[in-house]
Amino acid sequence: MPSDSRILLTLLAAAALFPLAVHDPYVLHIAILVLFYVVLASSLNLIVGYVGEFSLGHTAFLGVGAYAAALLAQKAGWPVWATIPAAGALAAVAGGFIGAITLRLKGPYFVIVTLSFAEVLRLVANNWIAVTNGPMGLAGIPQGFLQDKRLFFYAVLAVAAVTLYLCYRFVHSNAGRGAVAVRESRFVAQSIGINPFGSAMLAFVLGAGLAGLAGGFYAHYITFVGPDIFQFSFMASMIIMVLIGGKGTLIGPIIGAAIVTLLEEYLRDMQELRLTLFGLIVMAVVLFLPNGIISLAPKLKRLRPHAPARPVSADRGVL
Amino acid sequence: MDLFLQFLTNGLINGAFYALSALGLTLIFGLMRVVNFAHGEMYMLGGVLGWFFTTHLGLNFFLSVALVAAVMAAFGLLIDRFLIERLRGEGEEPGILFTIGLSIFLANVTLLVVGPAPLKVAGAVPEGALFIGPIIVTKLRLMAVAVGIALMIATHALIRHTRLGQAMRATFQDPMAASLSGIRVARVHAATFALGCTLAALSGMLLASIYSAQASVGGLVSLKSFVVVILGGMGSFPGAVVGGLLLGVAESLWGGYVATGMVDVIGFVLVILILLFRPQGLFSSSSERA
Amino acid sequence: MKAASYGLLLALAASPAVVASPAVAEDEIRIGLIQPLTGSVAYNGKSVVDGAKLALADINAAGGVLGKPVRLVIEDGQCKPANSVNAVEKLVQRDKVVALIGAFCSSATAAIMPVAQKYQVPLLTGVSSKADLTEQNNAYFYRAAETDALLATAFSSILANSLKLKTVAYIAVNDDWGRGAVAEFDRDLTALGVKTVATEYFDHGATDFYTLLTKIRATRPDGIVVAAETQDGSILVKQIKELGLSAKVFGVGSWATADFIDLAGEAAEGLYAAVPYVSTLETPRNTAFVKAYEAQYGAKPGKYGAAGYNAVNIMAAAIARAGSTEAPAILAGLKQTDYAAPNGTYKFTDKGQAYGFETALVKIEGKSPKVIATAPVDAPH
Repeated sequence: MPSDSRILLTLLAAAALFPLAVHDPYVLHIAILVLFYVVLASSLNLIVGYVGEFSLGHTAFLGVGAYAAALLAQKAGWPVWATIPAAGALAAVAGGFIGAITLRLKGPYFVIVTLSFAEVLRLVANNWIAVTNGPMGLAGIPQGFLQDKRLFFYAVLAVAAVTLYLCYRFVHSNAGRGAVAVRESRFVAQSIGINPFGSAMLAFVLGAGLAGLAGGFYAHYITFVGPDIFQFSFMASMIIMVLIGGKGTLIGPIIGAAIVTLLEEYLRDMQELRLTLFGLIVMAVVLFLPNGIISLAPKLKRLRPHAPARPVSADRGVL
Repeated sequence: MDLFLQFLTNGLINGAFYALSALGLTLIFGLMRVVNFAHGEMYMLGGVLGWFFTTHLGLNFFLSVALVAAVMAAFGLLIDRFLIERLRGEGEEPGILFTIGLSIFLANVTLLVVGPAPLKVAGAVPEGALFIGPIIVTKLRLMAVAVGIALMIATHALIRHTRLGQAMRATFQDPMAASLSGIRVARVHAATFALGCTLAALSGMLLASIYSAQASVGGLVSLKSFVVVILGGMGSFPGAVVGGLLLGVAESLWGGYVATGMVDVIGFVLVILILLFRPQGLFSSSSERA
Repeated sequence: MKAASYGLLLALAASPAVVASPAVAEDEIRIGLIQPLTGSVAYNGKSVVDGAKLALADINAAGGVLGKPVRLVIEDGQCKPANSVNAVEKLVQRDKVVALIGAFCSSATAAIMPVAQKYQVPLLTGVSSKADLTEQNNAYFYRAAETDALLATAFSSILANSLKLKTVAYIAVNDDWGRGAVAEFDRDLTALGVKTVATEYFDHGATDFYTLLTKIRATRPDGIVVAAETQDGSILVKQIKELGLSAKVFGVGSWATADFIDLAGEAAEGLYAAVPYVSTLETPRNTAFVKAYEAQYGAKPGKYGAAGYNAVNIMAAAIARAGSTEAPAILAGLKQTDYAAPNGTYKFTDKGQAYGFETALVKIEGKSPKVIATAPVDAPH
């Protein structure tokens, strides 16, 4: 699908020019956040959108990446260009381990077991004081050569570009097509020789690794990592981005990340009403735009590999 | 030995509380296949309404229980009829995302209305310790366990032995056949969701009379309830009871003999182990629902 | 297709620009306040904001600072590092605040300190108590609060000598503050010959402490030192009573408040609490403060209300002394602080740590905190 890649390239090129046109550090900060969430949402989308399983434990990989980068930089003195890829690699290993266990489960069981893994990691980070410094967290993580907002912008843009490239390659690979086939109909896919576990595993490990990259970036940008990174609030943001944007598409999570991040900042003006309105908006989108914002663009619609019609479970029947 | 008995008692009482607070979740999941992430907020609303009726208005505890049940049943009914109804047949994800949105909304509206302070709910019986041999419990706790058991039995009877319960079971086994035989399916869904919300709220009020109620407690309650429900098998009532007791006792013994700092990890580790070796939970939910 | 993608681009490019619309009014002085207003510590964050608003009203009633009214721009940092950093970016870049106050939890404060330094905006915390925050050579950071270490130093001798404790058990919330408090008290009390018989942590939001207390009871301590906030603490002391523990209970946290005493009920009687501020302090300045606070909010101020009140007053005075809103001048103004608070006098060390104010040991009797002893916080060496 060439148009898919054309949009992605146009977006990336426009993003690359962005810091040249905008100098306000606050706007740059928001743009950095948007790109950070683009990475996270796209990586989660591999699992939610293409494997078709609802992971609520993606913060496990974000956190593993963040702690890995922080510890490598602080205790081993690694430079930033090495810690972030290492964070991605370690998170991918964690993804392989967790995926091998969890991908055997389906539906709500998968949801809860992934959430459980993230919680276990949070509690370990909170109590393994010798390594993680427990609830005190790791402060003052070095930023290396990333001394300027603009450099941070290009760093996260590079991570986002890698993410989108790998997602694109995955979606258009045999494994990606296999995953979509499995999502649509497990039995048909198996009958034509697709190994459902293999393609799901690849998506899971890739998603975990990309979330780890995001985590590594986060550690250096915020300069503080604590156990709260494993908490459900990051997870809620990510999942809302993927579903609001439109899961199972490459562009959807990008739109979702941009809209949700900007919305959260806009709503600051609402003060106490902020999260109340946010909750309302999430509910409204589920009710009125069930396929995400991307379904508003009719021309983009044909890019969607079908509305994700999960097979209605046998015991529900049709209402 | 005395220490062990006390740990075991603590675990069992706590486990009964866990089971009680997870009932609403397992009911809604078992019958409706909705993973309700706003479960903890329903529990929280029960506590806050309990504060409003008992402490703020000064009403009798049991009258307040009835009022909380009525308010939350109506609330659940409305949410289902006007909102969740639209998501039916769309699979699990819209339900999950919708209830996440609902939980954010409810927690923050409550924060706006009653503020962030912990709120006190007047208990039904005076506080005070009871000594049973070497073991210490309190009247309030024993009463909460008793009320909890009564609630479980009443709900079970409702589902097993009433016309509404029959209609519920019929609807969720085969909605098409149920609607052909004259059951108003939409009403049954709404009644089920209302029942689940009421159970969550009553457990919230009951436990708030022992601890305290606060706008921000929902997330933690949801997490613990998920653990309980998975341990017992999603959708199974006896499973929730066993899951709750198992979690309570495991936490108590781990806290007692190992370390209290990491007590919360037990539940999640148990969930992972059980899903690995017995994915249907300790009590299979495929043969029996509720 | 093209139209759609360009539309998307336009939307992406335009929206942050709208967010950034700079509307700087030069006729007021803005101070950013970052506190947790949602989530599990919102209760305490709200108290800080209440106290801060009271101080602000006083300042503006007296004509403001540098002839201009002062405005507090309040942001919710949720006690989380990332959210607090976002809030700082917004406050500094969009609202153009000249100084920052926040961010409650030590972890969130640790995360915003480098940001404040980078943007060269003075940052004052009235709450975050982790000792090493002032050891990071951050010239833009000041702390108008006791550290755990200072509190422990101030009260350990009273615990050991006046209350005659021989053995002590610790119960603390499992976070940076709880662990910090235990470490400091443990060190000072051990040095005074008090034996530690047990240390137990619980997670924030825990409701059942029976198991933990059963363990503690078996070790028969003379005293129990507890680091817990209102919600956890009030449930904990109730269960201490229920289990019939006879040890003296000594709390660190916001215990000397009406809310706490009401929630704990009977169990509050006889508790000791070490607090940097208590509403029953009998100084003229405190009487006036309590009266104003009660008139405004219908309740007596606690530790956090006072913290917010003091922080805003200290910062406003520093700006007035600076004679301008330039950061170096404000920092110089902060350094010269000699602020007469309801609870003593605040001065800063070279590292930006406040000292000179009084902390109080109170005993709760007849539903009211009675001051047993006060101890000034000395400059740390």
